[in-house]
Amino acid sequence: MIDARGLTHAYPDGTTAISDVDLTIERGERVAVVGANGSGKSTLQLALGGLVTPTAGEVTYFGEATDAEAVRERLGVLLQDPNDYLFNTTVRADIEYGPAQLGLSKERAERRVAALADELGLTDLLDRPPFRLSGGEKQRAAVASVLAFDPDVLLLDEPFGAVDAHYRARIRDLVHDHDGTVVVFTPSLDTVPEIAERVVVVGREGTIAADASTRAVLTDGDLLTDVGLRPPTTVRLFAGLLDDADVPLTVSEARERLRDAL
Amino acid sequence: MSGVLGRSVETITGALRAVFAAEQLAAADGFLQRRDPRVSLCAISALALGIVLTRTLAVALCFAALTVGLARLSAVPLRRLLARSAVVPLVSALVVLPQAVLLPGDALVRLLGVTVTEAGVAYVLLFTVRVGVGVALLSLLVLTTPFSALVAALRELRVPVALVWVVAVTYRYLFLFFDELQRLVLARNSRTTGETGLRGGWRDARRIAGTFVLRTLDRGERVGRGMRARGGARPPSPYGRSRRVSAADYVLLAFSVAAVVVSGVIRWSP
Repeated sequence: MIDARGLTHAYPDGTTAISDVDLTIERGERVAVVGANGSGKSTLQLALGGLVTPTAGEVTYFGEATDAEAVRERLGVLLQDPNDYLFNTTVRADIEYGPAQLGLSKERAERRVAALADELGLTDLLDRPPFRLSGGEKQRAAVASVLAFDPDVLLLDEPFGAVDAHYRARIRDLVHDHDGTVVVFTPSLDTVPEIAERVVVVGREGTIAADASTRAVLTDGDLLTDVGLRPPTTVRLFAGLLDDADVPLTVSEARERLRDAL
Repeated sequence: MSGVLGRSVETITGALRAVFAAEQLAAADGFLQRRDPRVSLCAISALALGIVLTRTLAVALCFAALTVGLARLSAVPLRRLLARSAVVPLVSALVVLPQAVLLPGDALVRLLGVTVTEAGVAYVLLFTVRVGVGVALLSLLVLTTPFSALVAALRELRVPVALVWVVAVTYRYLFLFFDELQRLVLARNSRTTGETGLRGGWRDARRIAGTFVLRTLDRGERVGRGMRARGGARPPSPYGRSRRVSAADYVLLAFSVAAVVVSGVIRWSP
């Protein structure tokens, strides 16, 4: 579905953000791309989303196109900072922007806007300017904006941002229910088990340090330490007490283990 | 907050507030707000053309009265309309002020050896009123029509895509420009104590200007990506807000066309 070969990107100041990345995302996969701050995750997302032109390498979309603009309506790219994503005069105009530009009918767009606003608690904010929203509200509006045109592939850079626990769960459910491919870029490993079955680790040099199942990556403490990350809280709590295969990755799994033990 | 930067923040905040208020007015229930955006655009543009054509103060004042009437019917506070429209005609008046003494004609006043002529004063007055009414008409259009509806109307009226693109992007970037400057100055003020004085304020402003340019360029690039991520590389195509053209729409259109014709006839009649 998305196939990157030899992807390298260096910024004008000479900083190489990603280096020789080979990555294939298959249809319907749920993937988390993790890495420390400054490892090149966001640049990788922009390159996969066709929003920066890589210095070297190529990305193929859906087995046919190498130009992301040709398939823009099928790619949902959420940028890291919602301030860069919201640029219209009202929240409604911002959520409608993608559907309008990418050819969704007005009726369908209005239904999507209403449903997403309801789901993400934005209904009363639709006629407010995005600049006047709190950080969490902006993040929710940005998530609604990317989901509004119902793309086949979601490339989401830190979609939970400054969102509180309640809406974090709502966003996680929306991402979970998305009928397509999801790639989430995040430095926070605690949410990864709930959204991804495969984890790609970006190392310090902007290269792929590991690409394996969520359990294999999240229980590999040495690997995560090498790239400047820490295993999720539950993994650290149960490390040494259980085999890697049994270590709980989520709070609900941990509760089950404790219940069994007690 | 004091000093040059403090005052800048207040000005910027005021400008942002004015734009937000405009969107709220556009959502209100008024005569122009109920019109099809294409009709509002054409009618107001026609009236603006009418004021451009006129060379008679009485006709210009009629257009001014018409503008005030439309504002009242559309629940637009006259003070707000005046505040949005006053700067440009005042600057224009300053530019053409020398004509008051340069144009030949009957003397109105003699001061320090300089003669102010009737024809000169009439010219300055007429020019200022024409500019003021023109700007007020365009302000009225922006105040009573949501921006996305205006862009959609421009597209539906087959205005060249490049022009619509420039209008759409400029408007959005103007917002971001103000937003970035506001953030920058607030960040600076949060780490500054005490009065800086006029000289200190200007020194700070000079320092901050370079950072502002760099930050604006960077933000512009990132927002450009945000736009492209949602189809911004394609021509602007907001959803049309057009509705069935009503009798009142036709009346407004006919009235504005008649106003242009009358203004033209009066101008070119012997």
